[in-house]
Amino acid sequence: MTDVAPTTDERTDLDLVARWKAGEQRAATLLVERHASALARFLASIGARADVDEVVQDTFVRAFASIDGFRGDSSLRTWLFTIARRLVLDRRRAVRRRGEQVEVQETDVATEYDALDGVVAEETRARMQQAMAALTPTQREVFVLRVSEGMSYREIAEAVDTTEGAARVHYHNAMRAIKEFLDD
Amino acid sequence: MTDCGYGNVRDALPDYLNDRLDTAHRREVESHLAGCDACREELSLLRTLHVTMRRAPAVNVDAIAAAIPAYRAPVRRGWATPWRVAAAIVALAAGGTSIALLRSHASVQREDVSPYVTATRTREPGPAPQVVAPSTRAAEVPARPAPRSATIQPAPTRELAIASGSIGDLSDAELAALVDDIESLEATPAAEVESAEPLSVGAQEGT
Repeated sequence: MTDVAPTTDERTDLDLVARWKAGEQRAATLLVERHASALARFLASIGARADVDEVVQDTFVRAFASIDGFRGDSSLRTWLFTIARRLVLDRRRAVRRRGEQVEVQETDVATEYDALDGVVAEETRARMQQAMAALTPTQREVFVLRVSEGMSYREIAEAVDTTEGAARVHYHNAMRAIKEFLDD
Repeated sequence: MTDCGYGNVRDALPDYLNDRLDTAHRREVESHLAGCDACREELSLLRTLHVTMRRAPAVNVDAIAAAIPAYRAPVRRGWATPWRVAAAIVALAAGGTSIALLRSHASVQREDVSPYVTATRTREPGPAPQVVAPSTRAAEVPARPAPRSATIQPAPTRELAIASGSIGDLSDAELAALVDDIESLEATPAAEVESAEPLSVGAQEGT
């Protein structure tokens, strides 16, 4: 039941990478259009609210600069998430060295999900935001990648530098914590 | 909200939600959902969370794309880069110097060979090195020959033997001298000059 059908998206990504390497700069733009929003969602979910745009740009610049190191073992999107996450961690370390406070506040996470255009009722949305904010940082990372991006546990493990088994445990713990929060 | 005991189905709900299951698995999940309230509730919750999380902060796609430089293929260098050529020259020079030093050292060792003891190294097991007893040396062994042509030959074995006579025939002084010579043999470097033929050393000085 854990098998995931191969997507044409991954083949399209590889095709676009090949076209960019062949000199078609427009292919790079198409890749940014395909993945920038997902990266921004993920970065917001892990508390990189203030500089999402900057981190997304750095992620793409680094990824394209080292594209020959991309072996295709995972999808391009997973690789981009891995780079983005490392950039956020590097920035947090740099901030810590400067002695600044970098703890992710609950409001940082919650305010990223504003203005849902009425798709979800306001009260329900607020409860969901609070439930997500109550998760640990790792649970939140894993849960967002699993539910919002539809990543497999293998892809999540690669993106957040953990094991498949640990990713599965984090997901189910997050799901249980959200249910308990909403049942209270 | 209770959990369903079918862990595999619950595990696949995010994949179902994101349309990442193949046809067979999708049908299996849908079949289970038709009869399981707990999984339907969980899927509903996941849908709500999915919508909540899908809202992304705005990013400037054009600016990001403009920051990406054109592709530059990695430069592949051939073997003969300047530093590699220089390293090869240094290695060859060091090797030649080492060989010259070894030959020089071996020549000195050959001149120091004891009149009592000779060591032979050959590729094939050959005559053993000989220790010649002083009492029989004069009769059996000719005078020390003129300088011999020496060769360096790696040898598998090195043996020491009494050429003739008996140790019991040696005087105390001769025996002590022989022991000294044997001890000096142990300090002989591994690479040393060997004669083409076993050396037979003539009379000891003073005897």
